[in-house]
Formats: sequence, C-alpha cells, structure tokens
Amino acid sequence: MAFLLSSSQTSVISLLSLSFPIKQQRPRVLVNSVSCRATKVIGSENNSTNFYELLSLSPNNANINEIKKAYRNKALQYHPDVCPPPMKEESTRIFVQLNAAYKTLSDPMLRKEYDCELWGLTNNYASTLKMDEDVARTRWQEQINGLKMRSNRRMAQKEGSRGSKIRAQNMRSKD
Amino acid sequence: MGMAEPAYTVASDSETTGEEKSSSAFPEIAIGIDVGTSKCSVAVWNGSEVELLKNNRNQKMMRSYVTFKDDIPSGGVSNQLSHENEMLSGAAIFNMKRLIGRVDTDPVVHSSKNLPFLVQTLDIGVRPFIAALVNNVWRSTTPEEVLAIFLVELKAMAEVQLKRPIRNVVLTIPVSFSRFQVTRIERACAMAGLHVLRLMPEPTAVALLYAQQQQQAVHENIGGASEKIALIFNMGAGYCDIAVTATAGGVSQIKALAGSTIGGEEILQNMMRYLLPDSEILFSNHGINEIKSMGLLRVATQDAIYKLSSQTSVQIDVDLGNELKICKVVDREEFEEVNRKVFEKCESLIMQCLHDAKVETKDVADIIAVGGCSYIPKIRNLVMSICKRQELYKGMNPLEAAVCGAALEGAVASGISDPFGSLDLLTIQVTPLAIGIRVEENNFVPIIPRNTTMPTRKELSFTTFRDNQIEVLIVVYEGEGEKVGKNHLLGYFKIMGIPPAPKGVPEINVCMDIDASNVLRVLAGVVLPGSRHPAIPVMEVRMPTVDDGHGWCAEALDRTYGSALDLVTVQKKI
Repeated sequence: MAFLLSSSQTSVISLLSLSFPIKQQRPRVLVNSVSCRATKVIGSENNSTNFYELLSLSPNNANINEIKKAYRNKALQYHPDVCPPPMKEESTRIFVQLNAAYKTLSDPMLRKEYDCELWGLTNNYASTLKMDEDVARTRWQEQINGLKMRSNRRMAQKEGSRGSKIRAQNMRSKD
Repeated sequence: MGMAEPAYTVASDSETTGEEKSSSAFPEIAIGIDVGTSKCSVAVWNGSEVELLKNNRNQKMMRSYVTFKDDIPSGGVSNQLSHENEMLSGAAIFNMKRLIGRVDTDPVVHSSKNLPFLVQTLDIGVRPFIAALVNNVWRSTTPEEVLAIFLVELKAMAEVQLKRPIRNVVLTIPVSFSRFQVTRIERACAMAGLHVLRLMPEPTAVALLYAQQQQQAVHENIGGASEKIALIFNMGAGYCDIAVTATAGGVSQIKALAGSTIGGEEILQNMMRYLLPDSEILFSNHGINEIKSMGLLRVATQDAIYKLSSQTSVQIDVDLGNELKICKVVDREEFEEVNRKVFEKCESLIMQCLHDAKVETKDVADIIAVGGCSYIPKIRNLVMSICKRQELYKGMNPLEAAVCGAALEGAVASGISDPFGSLDLLTIQVTPLAIGIRVEENNFVPIIPRNTTMPTRKELSFTTFRDNQIEVLIVVYEGEGEKVGKNHLLGYFKIMGIPPAPKGVPEINVCMDIDASNVLRVLAGVVLPGSRHPAIPVMEVRMPTVDDGHGWCAEALDRTYGSALDLVTVQKKI
C-alpha cells in the first residue's frame, strides 16, 4: 500500500483511501490517528462497509432528509464528544468516516459518482446505473479547468525558480 | 478569595491542553465561562437548567478588569469600583481578550495604545509590554497574568456558591483566535488552577443553546422535527463572530464560521477620535493628567453610544481638564457615518459566512443577534436586511446566550444526562481558520481548509525546490491570507536526510490531524518514487510550537534560510 496519497487527487473518494504508516511506527500515536481505510470501498479488495451501510441507509431511495437524519443520529452515537473517554480514539475514527460518507452522499454530484463507481465495481448494476450525461460533462469541464490551472501554476513555478536561483546565487556570493 | 485552597496546576510546556486526566467516579459538572472583552459571566447546569452565578453584589455580568493597587491585585468579580473613573486611573488593566497572544506589530495591539494603562510596542514582532500604574510606578504584567488573576476570582466565586471545588471549565473564545492565542488562554487557565475541558467559538455556544431550545419546542410539540438553519451574529466589545448552524434533534451542526477583531472597542475609539481628533497624540505620553483626561473621554463617549441605541441624538458635555472641553450634540446618522467601515465589515462577514455555508438567505429560519453591540439599531437593521427579514429571534438574552451555551456544553462534556433529554445535545464543530504550510515564494497552501468538520485528518504532497535538496523546512501557518505573512505562524520543523535526488522527485507528504481534543499534529514523511516505504522516519510535531515573539521567528527563518529549504506543491500525476 502506498505510503501517503498524492496531493492533487482532490476528489473526496481518493482522499478517503488514506492510510498512515505512523500507526506501525509509534503505537501511541494511534490515539489520535485516524485511518480511513475502512471506507476504502472503491477498487479495493477488502470487504469494508460502504457509505450507505455506514449511515444505515438504503442506497436506492435514501433522500437528502434521510441522509441528514441518519448522519445526525450516527453523530449522536459516535461523535467523540459524546463517547466516554476510553472510546475516544475509536469514535474519532468512526466519526471521520461518517463525515466522509455524509459529505459524499449529501452532495448530489458526488453521490452520483460514488454510486456509479460503487455499483460499477462491486455489482453488475453498472448497466442499469449509467453515468448521467451531465455528470460526465461536469467532470470533463473540471478536468479542463484542472489542466488550465496546472499549466498556469507550472508557468508560475518556472518563473519562481528562476527568481530564487538568482537569489541563491546572491546568497552564495555574499558568503 | 482565600476560601479555596490554591490547588494550582500549571500545565507543562508540551501539554497545555489536557487529555482528560480526571479519574474521579463522580463527574464534576464543568462550569461555563464567557470572558468578554468588557464583561464576563459564569453559568452552570444546576440539574434541571442553566443558572447564571452572581457575585456578592448580585451581579451576573461582571466587568473584565484587574486593578493593581499596593501589593494585591483585585479584579472585577470581587472589587467594588467607587466610580467608573477608578477603572481608568491607570491602575486597572482591561481588554485583555484583545491583547492576549498578540505581538507588538499587530494592529489590534496598536489600537490598544490609547487605553488608560501602558501598552508599549517596539514593532519588531515580540509581545508588547503592558503595565499598570501603581503608586506612580509602571508595574509590568502580561495579558495571561491579568486573565489568570481574574479567573482565580471567578473560580473562588463559583466555589463559594456551588460549595465544591471547581476545576473543569468550558470557555468561549472568538472565532478569529489563532491556535497560538488559544494556548495563551489555556495557559492563563492553568495558572488559575482551571482545566479547560473544551473551548467553544462564541457563536457555536449560542448555536448549542438554540439547538436545545429547538429540541424543547419539539418535545412540547411547538415546532416540527425538521432541520432548521440559523444565522448567529455575535458582536461584543472586542470581536464580531458569525456562525451558520443547521439544527435538528439536539444536534447543532456548524456549517460555517466567520470572525474578525471588530467590536464595540473599535466603535468607541472611532467616536473618541471623532470627538477629539488629535486624542491619540494628546494621550501618547501617558502622564497622570493625560490618563485622567483619556478616562473621562472614554466614559463620556461610552455613555453617548449607549444612549444612541435608544435615542436619536445625544448631548456630550465633558470637561477633560487642561482646558480641554467637549460640548457637542451627536445624532445617530453621524454615529453611523463615523463607524461606516465597522458596519460594512459586519455585512461582509455575514455574506462570507452564508456563502461558505452554501446557504441562501431564504433558507435561514432564525436570525439570532447577541452580544453587547446587538443593541445598536444599525447592527440589528443590517443583520435583518441582509437576511431579508423583519425581525430577529426572540428566545435569548443577548448578553447571556453564549455563557448559557458554554454551561450546556460543560454539562454534556462532563457526561451528565438529563431525564427529560435536555442534555441530549451535540455540537459538530468546524475549523474557524485554514491551516497549512509555506511553499515557495512565501505562498500559503492550506491543508485543512477553514470550515472543515472536526475531528479531521487531511494531507497534501509536496516536493523539493532544488536538485539534491536534502532538507526541507515545514513552516505551519493558520489563516486566510494567500501569502504566509498575513497568517499566524504556528510552528516549524525541519525534515533532514532526504536522499539526494533531482528537484521534484522526492514526495514529501504533509498530513495534518486535529483529534477529538482539538489538538493539532503535523506529520511529514518522504517517499522516493518506486519505493513503498518512507525514506526516513516520519516526523510528528504537535502544534503550535512557537512561543512568544512569533513574528520575529518568521523573519529570522526567512533571513537565515531564504528559499534554500523551500517546498513546492506537487502537480497531479496522471
């Protein structure tokens, strides 16, 4: 498993598949370390629960109010503030997962994407749940924007490095 | 004072916030404290409801100040001022909430220089020198010390009334406080023998009270059980804070926070400047006569502002001594014009908070305006007009809402339950400010954006800035500025021993973790391509690490290292 995830994968789903090596190195850190591995449903071979299961929802017809309600109920059960101190570490871990689930499912766009990938990979629902055209279009738009931003940044970076080269040279000549 | 044995515990350097250390079988109900810039109050869950505690003069709201007289300082809890002017004689320190954890380059510190005690700045990014005038001697102190003295009095007062020792507290803090300032508050509490169980941004305390009220309304079948969105506007003497909260079933889910250091003090100073344009120069040398004049002007102006909340014009008539007299009629329009910028800032904060919360004004069910400034007609109007409403929420006392919320949180956090379900409450908090690191060109890259639900863990990848760079400097900042200079420095550490490689090759992963106790840890590790394991041991640093003088630190780092140990943000790999 990769050490840490690359920055730029900003989609919620990829962020959720973080896992941390710190766990093995310093067990004490476990108290505060949150591994979201259990939510790594997509493309992973482990049998962890998906977002719907986390929130005890039915994937087919859960509406936004049900999702909100489920999240609140689960938060009342698992938020570290309401759990006894010995449970804190575990509840933090669960709550971070609940949050990720809520964030994804309460956003119509993210939910559609999630559904597609979830059913596409774990079931044969892919044929029945085709990715909507608008989702595809938005994604495409995002990719274009991402590319533009990246090239802008790269340009800026080039200029930046030139400037700092000169600065570094100045520093050296001062010495 | 004197009735409580001083079982003071001073927190160690590395642990200013405690993990819960209490092992007692009987949960002690934490008290809620709202230390305001100008006034302070204490409340506690009494078994069936929240009760505000009163001092021996029967006051629920106590002035936040400490007077240094002879050898024994005394604060606004126990002390009886013979006259308002006594507080302005140079011997009393107040407004500590505006001064705590700030350096002497901070504009808020500079605006405190015309207070009637000594605030001296060297403008180099160290903590300001603060002193009270005792027997014609400027006696130095610190905001933490003043706050601690005040908290000791509050603690003693609560102990007498509740007939038990007090240790655990829930404190309200401004939204705009940096994590460094939070450690200063915790330090002051530790100095006073108090353990901070939880710190709540002020409007989130109000949000919790609102959640409880809504829950009760549901129980009494007054309201429906569906989610309600409220906008909370909280403006006191020192700070203006906004929250948007979604509430249902006793859960207050904070959608967004916004805050700024504008408040009644700003309004007061604007008015003082308006009444006496060269007042700052006049008072700058802090002689005894100047302090007296300054005090008189302050009292008269404050009085006029209060009156302008209920009447449309006010006559100001004050003899400042030294042949300085002010005799003027000020009307409400003038007052509003003088403070136009303050009101505009309030508006923009509300807009920003609604925007961040992704909430339309039509979806806001209730608008709650609290804090001393919520009595100002212009403030009430601007809050209502932004939300396109005719009225504000009526179920709360604007001066007591925050402390009541803190007391509720105190009971919940102490594990107290209520047979009627009045304490089945929860606040889901968000980060008030973004936290990130410095990259090349002094840019700030947020790793945990503002308004992220806590606890949380986020990370980003970076890489080296030059070939064969074997060290990088991780400098952690908190704030909203695009350049690090605009943000609060929290700390820094170096990653060493990176295997030599061309620039852009080593993958430096920086992860930020805020745990259930709101402790921030920054982790950093290095991987080389093709390897699945960290090249060197991962660094884990608890933040903030900076002590006083953090402005100075940032400059020193820049001077010593320049861009030599810089990081660069990684672009997406496909």
